[in-house]
Amino acid sequence: MSKENIKTNQEYKYGFETKIDSFKAPKGLSEDTIKFISKIKKEPKWLLEWRLKAFSRLNKLKEPNWQKPKYPKINYQDLYYYSSPKSMKDKPKSLDEVDPKLLETYKKLGIPLNEQKKLSGVAVDAVFDSVSVATTFKDELTKKGIIFCSISEAIQKHPDLVKKYLGSVIPLTDHYFATLNSAVFTDGSFVYIPPNVRCPMELSTYFRINASETGQFERTLIIADKGSYVSYLEGCTAPMRDENQLHAANVELVALDDAEIKYSTVQNWYPGDENGVGGIYNFVTKRGACRGKNSKISWTQVETGSAITWKYPSCILQGDNSVGEFYSIAITNNHQKADTGTKMIHLGKNTKSKIISKGISAGKADNTYRGLVDIGKKAQNSRNYTQCDSLLMGNKCGAHTIPYIKNKNSTSTVEHEATTSKINEEQLFYCNQRGLDQEEAVSLIVNGFCKEVLQQLPMEFAVEAQKLVGISLEGSVG
Amino acid sequence: MIQNFQIKNSVIDQIKEISLEEKKFRLKNLDVFNNEGFPNNKNEEWKFTNIDKIIKTNFKKLILKKDINELKKFDLITNFEHNYIILVNGRLKSFNLDFEEKNEVNISTFKNNNFDFKKNNTLINLNNALYNEGFSIKVNDNYKMKKSIIIYNFFTKELKENMINIKNKVILGKNSELHLIEYNINNSKEKFFNNTYESVFLDKHAVYKTISINENRSEGFFHKFSSNTLLSNTNYTAYIFPAGLKFNKVDLEFNLEGENIDCSLQSASFLKKDEHQEIRTKINHLFPNCKSYQKVKNVLSLNSKGVFQGKIFVKDKAQKTNAYQLGKAMLLNDESEFNSKPELEIYADDVKCTHGSTSGSLDENAIYYLMTRGLNRKESTSLLIDAFLNEIISTIKSKSIKEFIKLKFEKQIYGH
Repeated sequence: MSKENIKTNQEYKYGFETKIDSFKAPKGLSEDTIKFISKIKKEPKWLLEWRLKAFSRLNKLKEPNWQKPKYPKINYQDLYYYSSPKSMKDKPKSLDEVDPKLLETYKKLGIPLNEQKKLSGVAVDAVFDSVSVATTFKDELTKKGIIFCSISEAIQKHPDLVKKYLGSVIPLTDHYFATLNSAVFTDGSFVYIPPNVRCPMELSTYFRINASETGQFERTLIIADKGSYVSYLEGCTAPMRDENQLHAANVELVALDDAEIKYSTVQNWYPGDENGVGGIYNFVTKRGACRGKNSKISWTQVETGSAITWKYPSCILQGDNSVGEFYSIAITNNHQKADTGTKMIHLGKNTKSKIISKGISAGKADNTYRGLVDIGKKAQNSRNYTQCDSLLMGNKCGAHTIPYIKNKNSTSTVEHEATTSKINEEQLFYCNQRGLDQEEAVSLIVNGFCKEVLQQLPMEFAVEAQKLVGISLEGSVG
Repeated sequence: MIQNFQIKNSVIDQIKEISLEEKKFRLKNLDVFNNEGFPNNKNEEWKFTNIDKIIKTNFKKLILKKDINELKKFDLITNFEHNYIILVNGRLKSFNLDFEEKNEVNISTFKNNNFDFKKNNTLINLNNALYNEGFSIKVNDNYKMKKSIIIYNFFTKELKENMINIKNKVILGKNSELHLIEYNINNSKEKFFNNTYESVFLDKHAVYKTISINENRSEGFFHKFSSNTLLSNTNYTAYIFPAGLKFNKVDLEFNLEGENIDCSLQSASFLKKDEHQEIRTKINHLFPNCKSYQKVKNVLSLNSKGVFQGKIFVKDKAQKTNAYQLGKAMLLNDESEFNSKPELEIYADDVKCTHGSTSGSLDENAIYYLMTRGLNRKESTSLLIDAFLNEIISTIKSKSIKEFIKLKFEKQIYGH
């Protein structure tokens, strides 16, 4: 490999900010803020009480600090906990009523909201800061009995479902950031798939952090009833910023008997500049419960953005014969830091889990895989297979693997494998010989390294993700 | 006597013939232990082994050992010729170096001259405060020992609710060679707690081979911390057969401070009822072109708990590192448990680091195959377990030592 450093000039492609006046809650975290949020969202009393309960617990909790990437102390009193674009105060009823500036933003992001609606076959529930803008393809979904709306809407229209499942996977008594989210969550998506329905399209939502100093606290709840199937996509881009922004979302999945949920994420938030200034703190709690027999939850994630990524999408395999899967690519460049992995908790009989994690570290970045495989006493004949591969580019970056493996059942099998290596110089040479320049060659090889995970992504995402893998590593070849 | 596991400063006043500096050092360490107590599972290194709880459920009190170092006659091993050291409850009683040239190998009672205070594992602080037993071995430059040394490490039957703190030191000079076999013989039928701190230093081109094995099963609670410093071109090989104790944690740290070091560590154990065993390793690759190899195999029966925490750290300049780590466990019973945390922390790009961990049950197909060949289920199981664990023993180079270890190891599995 050439010793000469090719400097990165790749600017953050999605770094723009739409100028819209925001409607903000008063700064700071207090009971009043929570009451304000609850009031403005016209929430029922039980939810306000639920939020306040979370807040009182939050006051007793301490921020965790065991993670590898350290970050400056966050002043929670200096954040806004609610903001919505002003023109959104009265919700638009159709796309025509949507602020044209917003629509323009989506166009830049490439969200197929308007003409492309039908062509792409994607129903989009776009979250701009905290309030849902528009939801498309609703009719088609409604026919099948599928509920796909913002969580605020679900709270109003389907309170029984929300009450039953909200907090059932990530309880109020969870860790600091999850509890913070429970107290102040503003919006997010809600999906309910009725029994024996196969969702005809990929459901998707784009998150975007916009107004400055706004922590985003989405709450997503997906319920797949007996025998149903849903594939959900989540893609993220955020405008360029200098100060760090906190993002603490909660995602809860519930799969009942014979149901399957596939949750895919492409995360490309602003990672900070090449000196490590700015960037998003992505502290997300994602957890799925395979409640029913033969249920399946599959997480796929491509993490290329954020200054710090700190999340562990997990599966609780309660139902007999349930399956949990985790496919992950985490790419860190410059000063980015990622501490990500999964938890597979086997409780039911014949449960199976598979973990494929690919970490790529370049520049001065740190990439950590941290995971837990826990086979309970009653999880007869359970199986787990874990593979963690790390690729290092340069000797200023780090790649770490910290798997926790607990096996309490003699009929279960747990396998874990991990390797760390660098890009094979012969492969690079071969590609160069065939006319690819250094960066193209690296992109090709890295895409090959990630193939097992990229294959798991739905078509719409796979192409975007492949491009992202290349873009994220530009300038890292030395 | 230690009330509520708090130790009074007066205990240290009673230790004779120590300098003011040493006394200060001991008191400072004692302070740390009294403030923080035994490590518990909130400490990442003790995640799977809550020794605080284990000690408190098994001991009402811990008595600092008075001089109970008498030893009855015993027989030396006759399987092969060897030098020997005799330790009784950690204290150096006698040694014999008949096979070696004079003045090339020095053995003496341990004397501490390192009073750098560090706050770490509180068991080390405890050891720093209270050690009063131990030995040191020094092999001179360019001297390759002709025969192995066996350490006959006796724990006497008088031990009951006692706590022993031992410090040992092994120093190998340039281009020297030492083979050390630690042979633990536990005569106590009661519970006692042994806390050992060992430091090993290998100067350039030194070769060190060590084996440790327990002769019999006992109710002992053992913790050993081993700090190993290896300079360039050294060769370190360790075999650990730690089973047979009620509680055993072997904590090994290696600093590879030079190039072309070869460091290998292998362990096999068959854990029986209520045994709790942990092996924790940390290998710090600090220089280029070093190799480390770890293989830990456990068979867990009735209510036993096995833990393997291995960490490989590779510094940015430690290019061309080759590090391998494998933890394998076989669970025979639903009451048994195996936890593992194989960890990699890597900052250099041109390295080959792999780790693997598996745990599972006996292969039913293999049992079926053996049974169709006329073995009964029990025999088939034993055969498979033997094969699983013998993989480690079979790599011991010296034939006579291998035979001896095999004998002792089989006793661990089938004896008593």
